[in-house]
Amino acid sequence: MKKIKISTTINSKKYYLDINPNVTLLDLLRDELGLTGTKRGCEIGECGACTVLINGEAVNSCLVLAPQIDGKELLTVEGLMAEGKLHPLQQSFMDHDAVQCGFCTPGMLMSSKALLDENPNPAEEEIRTAISGNLCRCTGYVQIVEAIGKVNK
Amino acid sequence: MSTQNQHKIIGKSECRVDAWGKVTGRAKFAEDYNVGHQLWGKVLRAKHPHAKILKIDTSKAEKVAGVEAVLTAKDIPGSKVFGIVVSNQAILAEDKVRYLGDGVALIAAKTEEIADEALSLIEVEYEPLLVVTDPEEAMNPETIKIHGDDNTFVHHKVRKGDVDKGFAEANFILEKKFKTQFVEHSYIEPEAVLAEPAEQGGVRVTGSVQNLFSTRRSTAAALNLPLNKVQIIQATLGGSFGGKDEAMTSMCIRAALLCLKTCKPVKMVNTREESMLESYKRHPYTLYYKWGVKNDGTITAMEIRIIADGGAYASMSPFVTWRSVVQATGPYYCDNVKTDIYAVYTNNNYTGAMRGFGSPQVNFAIESMMDILAEKVGKDPLEIRLQNGFERGAITATGQNLEHNVSLKEVLQKATAEINFQEKWKKYRSEPNTQKKRGIGLACSYRGVSLGAEGTDAVGTIISVQTDGSVIVSSGITDMGQGAQTQMSQIAAEVLGISMDRIQFLNTNTSRVPDSGPTVASRGTIMGGSAAKKAAEIVQATLLTTASEMTGLDVQSLELKDNYLIDIESGQRLASFNELAAECFKKGRPTYGFGWHKSPKTSWDEDHGQGEAYFTWVYGANIAEVEVDTETGKVDVLNFVSCHDVGKAINRGAVLGQIYGGVAMGLGYGLLEEFEIENGIPKQLNFDEYSLPTSMDVPKIKAIVVENEDALGPFGAKSIGEPANELAAPAIINAIYNATGKRIYELPANLERVLLGHKLVRPKERGSVLKEKDIQAAMHRAVYELLPDGTFYAEIPGLQGVYANAKSLEECREQLQEVLEKEVA
Amino acid sequence: MKPFEYISTKSINEATQVLSEYKQDARVLAGGTDVLIELRRPHAKIPKAILDISYIESLNGISESDGLIILKPLSTHTQILKSDLVRKYAQLLGIAASQIGAPQIRNRGTVGGNVMNAATCADTVPPLIALDAEITLRSNGGSRTMKLVDFFIKPYKTKAESDDVLIEITFPKLPSNAQSAFIKLGRRNALSISRLSVAAILMQDKKGLISEARIVPGAALPTWMRVKEAEEMLIGEKPSLKLFTAAGQKVSEVMISYTGRRWSTEYKEPVIGVLVRRALEGCVKD
Ligand SMILES: Cc1cc2nc3c(=O)[nH]c(=O)nc-3n(C[C@H](O)[C@H](O)[C@H](O)COP(=O)(O)OP(=O)(O)OC[C@H]3O[C@@H](n4cnc5c(N)ncnc54)[C@H](O)[C@@H]3O)c2cc1C
Ligand code: FES
Ligand code: FES
Repeated sequence: MKKIKISTTINSKKYYLDINPNVTLLDLLRDELGLTGTKRGCEIGECGACTVLINGEAVNSCLVLAPQIDGKELLTVEGLMAEGKLHPLQQSFMDHDAVQCGFCTPGMLMSSKALLDENPNPAEEEIRTAISGNLCRCTGYVQIVEAIGKVNK
Repeated sequence: MSTQNQHKIIGKSECRVDAWGKVTGRAKFAEDYNVGHQLWGKVLRAKHPHAKILKIDTSKAEKVAGVEAVLTAKDIPGSKVFGIVVSNQAILAEDKVRYLGDGVALIAAKTEEIADEALSLIEVEYEPLLVVTDPEEAMNPETIKIHGDDNTFVHHKVRKGDVDKGFAEANFILEKKFKTQFVEHSYIEPEAVLAEPAEQGGVRVTGSVQNLFSTRRSTAAALNLPLNKVQIIQATLGGSFGGKDEAMTSMCIRAALLCLKTCKPVKMVNTREESMLESYKRHPYTLYYKWGVKNDGTITAMEIRIIADGGAYASMSPFVTWRSVVQATGPYYCDNVKTDIYAVYTNNNYTGAMRGFGSPQVNFAIESMMDILAEKVGKDPLEIRLQNGFERGAITATGQNLEHNVSLKEVLQKATAEINFQEKWKKYRSEPNTQKKRGIGLACSYRGVSLGAEGTDAVGTIISVQTDGSVIVSSGITDMGQGAQTQMSQIAAEVLGISMDRIQFLNTNTSRVPDSGPTVASRGTIMGGSAAKKAAEIVQATLLTTASEMTGLDVQSLELKDNYLIDIESGQRLASFNELAAECFKKGRPTYGFGWHKSPKTSWDEDHGQGEAYFTWVYGANIAEVEVDTETGKVDVLNFVSCHDVGKAINRGAVLGQIYGGVAMGLGYGLLEEFEIENGIPKQLNFDEYSLPTSMDVPKIKAIVVENEDALGPFGAKSIGEPANELAAPAIINAIYNATGKRIYELPANLERVLLGHKLVRPKERGSVLKEKDIQAAMHRAVYELLPDGTFYAEIPGLQGVYANAKSLEECREQLQEVLEKEVA
Repeated sequence: MKPFEYISTKSINEATQVLSEYKQDARVLAGGTDVLIELRRPHAKIPKAILDISYIESLNGISESDGLIILKPLSTHTQILKSDLVRKYAQLLGIAASQIGAPQIRNRGTVGGNVMNAATCADTVPPLIALDAEITLRSNGGSRTMKLVDFFIKPYKTKAESDDVLIEITFPKLPSNAQSAFIKLGRRNALSISRLSVAAILMQDKKGLISEARIVPGAALPTWMRVKEAEEMLIGEKPSLKLFTAAGQKVSEVMISYTGRRWSTEYKEPVIGVLVRRALEGCVKD
C-alpha cells in the first residue's frame, strides 16, 4: 500500500505527514499523533465523542479518511487552551457542572465551539441542535446546554 | 432550616476535582494508555448462542506471523470460572457456549489487524443445542438446562400477613401483567484495559473497571496468584452505570492471561459492537401484579410474581432481584403481601447490575398499578398516593419499621405543586381527541440506601496532608463520572477547613487502598463520604493538637477555616494551613488519616422474606408532561419535574447532574431503548440501532432537592444516583395514559406500541392453508444480494412487490417467504 | 480497515479516467459518511482504490441559471440547508437536509453521496424527485442526463455504472404559487433514520384550486416514485382536510399494492396516510 504525503495544520501546528491511507482521522490523531483527547465511542458517526473541527466545521473524525485532511486546518480539544489559559467554553463547562464522566466532553466542546464561532449568542434550541450529534449518557444534557448558553453572557 | 449556612464547602456546587483534566483532554481513559511493545489482545466469540464445543483447532492461527499467543480455556492456570455470587461464568468457554458473547479463544498479536486475521483462522467445531430465550419457558422442567439441573437459580420471597384473607376483604381485584426489556448501559466509553507484567511477578492492569476488588479477586484466582501480585488500577471511567463490572472482570483476566503468557504488555479494547454483544444488560422482567382493593382505595392484599431473565450467567441477579423483592410493593401500606421473584438462565445476554438495580422494573409495575387503582376508585394519582403512601413509623412489607423522616408525602407535594399537577391532569384527561394530545403523569418511590442486607458494607478512605499543605485523597470507592471523588474531597476540605484546590484525588489502585467492596447501590457518598469524614477527623485532630502546642491555646478554642488556623474567639488567623502542616512534619506527627466506615446493621430472613433490609431509605417523586402524536405514536416529553430527598446535597451541582442524567436515562427506558435478542442473536450492536436520547429528546428538567438530613450519612447525606433513574419511565407511561386513555404494559413505549398497543413482531407461525408447493417453487427462484450497508436484499424475478430487505440472510429469506405467502393468499 | 490505494484528484476528467481504468475496483469517496461505515465492516468488500473526489472544486456549489437550480454533488447538507436559493425555490429540500443525522453528518455528508448511495431512507431523494430533478452522470465515454426518478432500480441499486461520476443535479425553481413540505418520522428527534417520510408540493391557481400536486413517499415503496393516483385526486380540487385524508389513504393503498402486506404494514398503512395528509396540509399553510 502506497503511503500518502499530506500537510495539515492541527491546533495551529503545521504537520507534514507520510501516512497510510486506510486509517481514519480518529486513528491518525489518537494512534499516530498521540492526541488522545479525541475519543472513540462508536466509530460509525453516532456518538460524536470523536468530534473535531475541520476548517471550523464540526465533523466526526471516525468518518474522515486520514488523507482527506490534506491542506486543511484542524482543531482538537488539545488546541482549545491558549497560552496556558482555559478557553471560555472549557471554563464554563467546569463552572456549570457540565462534566460528569467526561468521555463526551471533548466532542461536546468541539461541537459547541463550532456553534459559538458562528453564533455567539445562540438560543437554547440552537444549542440543542448543535450538540444533537453528541451523545451523553451521564448528564441529561441540561448543564451542558446551560454551560454553552452562558459562555458569552 | 438546615445547617447549610455553617458549611463552607458542603452543599456548594464546588467544581469537580477531575473537571480540569476532562475539559482539556488530559484525562486518561483506559484506551488512552499505551506502552512500547504492547501487543493487541482479541477474543474469539461464540458462533452459536447455545452449543457444545467439540473441538478447537488453533494451529493455523498460531502460525500467523506476528501472533505471540493463542489461548483457550485449557491454558488458564487457576479457576476457569468467576462470579461474585455464583461462580459459574466462563472466562473462556470450555465445553459449552451459553450465549453469543461467550469467549472461546484469545489471541495476542503485534497489531490489531494480525490479531483479527488470526482469529478468523481458529477453527471451532460446535454441536448446536436448543436455544432457550423465553425465561418462562426456561422454568419448565422439560426445557434443556443451561447450567446444572435447574434453570431457575434464584427464588426470593416476602411473606407478610395472609393474602387470602386480604383478597377476601377486598371489594375488587386488580390483576395485570407487565413486561420490561433488556437495556444496554451505553456508557459512551467502550471497555478497555492495558495489562503489564509486574516486576516481581504478577500483573498490573489499568482499565475501565468499576469494581476493582472483585475484579482483582477473580483475576488472582484465575492466574493462581496471591492478591498482592495482582494490581488493578482504575483509569478514568467513561461511564459505567453498573456496567463495567463482570464485563471488565473477564476482560482483565483475559488480558492478564495473555500478558503473563507473553511476558509483554497486552492491550485490549472492545469495539462498540463487541461491547454490546458481550456485556450484560438490565434484566427484562415479566411482572404479574394482583391487588385486592377496597372501594375507598385501600389496598388489602398484594400478590406479586416476577420472573427475571438472568441470561447465560448468574452475575448480580441474586442481588438485583433481592432489591426488587424488598421494594416490590412500593412505599404503600398493605397488611397482606406475598411476593415471589425468580431469576432464570436463558441463552440471552446475561443480566446484572444497572443503575436502579432491580427498581426500575418494579417501579414501572407498581406506579402503573397505582394509577389503574386511582382510576377505578375515582381518585386522582396524587390523592391515591397520599392515601396509601408511607409515613414515619410505617412498617414495610418486610416488617421494617421506618423510623427516619419518611418524606414521601413531602416529595409528592413539592413535585406536584411545582407543575400544577392535579389541575393539568384533570384538564388533559377531558380534552377531546386531537392529533397531538398532552398528558401528565406521576410516579413515586422509596429506595433502600446502599447494599442493604445483601452484602458486607464497609469502605476505606485515606487522606494524606503533604508537608506543604496540599492534600492527597484516595479511596476504595471509584468514580465513574458520578462525582464520588469530588464529594469525598469536599467532605475532607470541609473538615480540614481548606479550599478544594488543595486536593488531589488519586484514581483507585487495589494495592494502595483496602478492599472497599463494590461501588454500587449509590453507596459512594454515604459510605465513601463517611469514611472520608472519619479520615479527615483523624488528621484534623493531629493538626489541632499540634496547633495547640504551637500557640499555647486550648484545642477547643482553635479551628481550621479558610486555609488558616483560627482563634475562634477573636477570629484571628494564627497560622496558615501550610505552616501548620510543616509544623506537624517537623514534630514527626503523621498527617495521614485512614477512615473506615462500616454500615449500620441490617438483617434478613431469607425463608420468610422479613427483615431490616436497608439501614435507611430515600424518597422521590417524578412528573412527566408529554405530547403524544396520536396518529403516529410518537411521544415527546415536554416538561419534567424530579423531586428527591437526598438527605443532604454535598455538592449541589453534582446532585442536579445526577437527577438530570437519571431522568434522561429513564426517558430512554420509557420511550426508546430496547436491546432485542431474537433466538439468542442480538439485533442492536451499535448506537445506530440502539437509540439513546439525544439533546433534542430530553426536555428541560426541573429538579427539586429536598434535604432531610439523615443521622446515618456524612453531614446528613444519603444518595441520589439510582433514585434519579428509577421513576421517569412510569411517570411517562402514566402521562401517555392521561393523554390517550391507552395504557402501555410493555416497555418501551415506542411508535408501534403507542399507536397499535403492541410491538411489531414477525409472526413465527405461517398460514398452513397456503399452497406450500407453489411457495417453495417460487422461493427457489429467489435471488439474494448483500447490499453495501451489510443488509440482505431478496426478490423473486417476475413477481412485482415480492421483495425483502433484512439484516441477515436468514431473516431476509423468512421475510421474503412471508411476503410471498401473503401474496399467494 | 484493509489496505487500499488512495487516489485524490482535482479534476473531473482525471476522476473519470481513473474510474475507467479501475472499474468495479475503485470506489468514489465524497463526504465518506456512508463509505467509511462500509469500509469498517468486518467482512466489507474492500476496493483496490478509493478515489477521493472531495477536492474537485467544480463539483461543489449551489447556483441558478435559466430557471433551474444547479446543485453540484459535493454540496453538503449544511450548505443546502443554509442556501437562500434552496429556501426560496425548493423549501422542502432544505427541510429534508436540516433533518439529516446531526450537524457533524450534515457538515460532511453530500447530496451526491445521498443520491448515489440510494438507501431507502435517503432523505434528500423524495424532495428531489418531487422537484422533478434530473441528474447528469459523466464517465470517460461522455455524459448522460436522466430524470432522478428513473435512476433508481431498487434499494442501493441505481443505473449508474461503476465508472460514472455524478456531476450535477438540476431542477426547475418552484414557482411562486407553489408550496412544499417534507415530513420525516423517526424514532427520536435527531440522529434518526426515516421510518417513513413524505415530500409534497402543491400549486394552486388564482381561484385557489389545486393545479399541480406531487407526492413522493420515502422509506415506503420498493423504490421512489410520485404517487400519481393520489396526485390526480387533488387536481382541480379545493384543498380540504377530507381531500387530503383521501389522498393519504390512496398513497397507503398504492404502497400496499407494491409491497404486499408484511409484518410492518400494520403500522405503515395508517401512518403513511397521516404523513401525506400532514404534508399536504403543510403546503397550504400561509
Ligand atoms: C450517523 C449518521 C446519520 C445519518 N443520517 C442520515 C439521515 O438522517 N438521512 C439520510 O438520508 N442519510 C443519513 N446518513 C447517511 C449519509 O450521511 C448520507 O447518505 C450522505 O448524504 C452521504 O454522503 P457522503 O458524501 O458522505 O457519501 P459517501 O460516503 O462519500 O458516498 C456514498 C456513496 O455514493 C458514492 N458517491 C458519492 N458521491 C458520488 C459522486 N459524485 N459520483 C459518484 N458516486 C458518488 C460513493 O461511491 C458511495 O457509494 C447518515 C449517516 C450517518 C453516519
Ligand atoms: S466515534 Fe466517531 S461518532 Fe462515535
Ligand atoms: S459526561 Fe459521561 S457521557 Fe457525557
